[in-house]
Amino acid sequence: MNSKRITIRLMTYFFLLALAVFTVFPVLYAVLGAFKTNAEVTLGGTILPQTWIFTNFPEAWTNANFARYTLNTLYTCVFTTIGSVLVASMSGFVVSRKTFWGKKVLMGAILATMFLSVGAITLRPLYVLMLRLGLHRSLWSIILIQVATSQGANIFLVSRFVSAVPKELDEAAHIDGANLFQIYRMIILPLITPILGVVGLFAFRYSWNDYVLPSIFTMTRESMRTLTVGVVSLRYGESAAAQWNLMLAGASIAIIPMLIVYVIANKQFMSGLTAGAVKG
Amino acid sequence: MQKLSFASGSKLAKPTDKVLIFLMLSPAVVLLVAGSLYPLIWIFRYMFYTFDGMRPPRFVGMENFIRIFTRDPWFWSSVRNTFVYAGGKLLVTIPLAFLLAVILNKKMLGRGFFRAFFFMPTIVSVSVMSLIFYFIFNTYNGILNQLLIRFSIIPSPIEWLGVQYAMFSAIVIAIWGAIGNYMVYFLAGLQSIPRELYESAELDGASESQTLMRITIPMMGPVLQVVIMLAILVSLRGYESILVLTGGGPSARTEVVYLYIFRQFFPMAEAGAFISQFGYGSAVAFVTSVIIGLITIFYLWWSRRMNEVY
Repeated sequence: MNSKRITIRLMTYFFLLALAVFTVFPVLYAVLGAFKTNAEVTLGGTILPQTWIFTNFPEAWTNANFARYTLNTLYTCVFTTIGSVLVASMSGFVVSRKTFWGKKVLMGAILATMFLSVGAITLRPLYVLMLRLGLHRSLWSIILIQVATSQGANIFLVSRFVSAVPKELDEAAHIDGANLFQIYRMIILPLITPILGVVGLFAFRYSWNDYVLPSIFTMTRESMRTLTVGVVSLRYGESAAAQWNLMLAGASIAIIPMLIVYVIANKQFMSGLTAGAVKG
Repeated sequence: MQKLSFASGSKLAKPTDKVLIFLMLSPAVVLLVAGSLYPLIWIFRYMFYTFDGMRPPRFVGMENFIRIFTRDPWFWSSVRNTFVYAGGKLLVTIPLAFLLAVILNKKMLGRGFFRAFFFMPTIVSVSVMSLIFYFIFNTYNGILNQLLIRFSIIPSPIEWLGVQYAMFSAIVIAIWGAIGNYMVYFLAGLQSIPRELYESAELDGASESQTLMRITIPMMGPVLQVVIMLAILVSLRGYESILVLTGGGPSARTEVVYLYIFRQFFPMAEAGAFISQFGYGSAVAFVTSVIIGLITIFYLWWSRRMNEVY
């Protein structure tokens, strides 16, 4: 009986370890590859670098324009995150606390757009819209669309969280003469920071990793590219075959910051996934 | 589980409140109208047009739909590919993620580390990682074939991205990226099952497999139903990874339907003519949405018993 239990335990660990290798290997392989010479990368056959090369990163940074891509990604990410948190917290608060004309229609429309996805064809009208607004040459086109397409889930998430805050707090502030915006800023905002942290984290991840939208919107403007677009474009680039080491360095520049964020906040990522859905 | 509902306001809004409600909601409303509703209306209009983005759009009535249903075998083959892709992904991901959640829900050494490792792929960029996989799956200098040959598992290199195996490789990447996500959903579901049920089962002398079959799985019914629905929707829509990995090739073997929609918008150079078909693409997107909507409704009908906890 006891030996049977030990065998089961050992097999469980073997299974978990095998799967862990499967999940970690590709990321590890990319990062290690960024320290190999181009010849070694092209030939393959090794996992650890034969000799550790540290020139790939500075070369990607300056020659392959990754400094610019990183800056663009950071800019987009920061404003998408701030925008998402602002929009979701204000709307989530109002929707949770107030009744107003057209509320059912608004909530229905938000819910419908969350479940309806018609694919990349929507990028055409959005591009034309940004062209008319004069934003097609700006990263703000990407920021605005990223905030717009992810706001539905965020508003639902925040409004549920606000509903759990006792209404007496609002009423006390109201009697003291605070208006709706003041109640939002002074009472609600400090109390809902945990869920706003989750919204911000997910917005950051979404913006950092987004590929199709920025690749279409920066098609004619290389200087506007984000990291994901820059890395993938090296595959199609004219000298692609010769630059696998730069591609891996670029991929590492795109991956490592997200991994650092994940190491710091992995609990928030995991709890955030289910905050709105399961603990209803 | 609570239904989606919103607490109604305490009192009728005062005039200043009305202005503030309007102001505070306006960013979300503007973004909703411009970012989500306007493109939908655009599609509803242009699905009746021929439009390449350069010449002025021309009204053609139902022509685009007639083309979809009578003259476009590529669309239907992309629909078939989507079912293979989504089906293959779900059949492995859901049971595996469930198993991992059951294992990692118990107290054990390294539990936190394993959870963090399995969830990690959902943090990194799908497109960048697909490029890395493209590199790993490379026939001659890819590390996968090199390792398999070194350990004598295969005699000669396999063309992982060739006609025969490309879809298999795409599914492997999809599974890689999805397991951790669903594991976390299931973990949250498992934690909502009352402890007392397990305690009384243990007192009655139930074995672990009995506990799993009689308590865990039935109690997880509602969670499983919702999570599987989400999983179906997400996997039917996925195309970013395939776009980077194979671009739909070789010979359209990995062309899924949302990639087909993408290519109406942005035709790839290898396809020959570089002409966008916004009108036809809109019609394709509409038909695809209807197909996916029907699948969702069918699934909800078919799985209705999962929602009854007994």
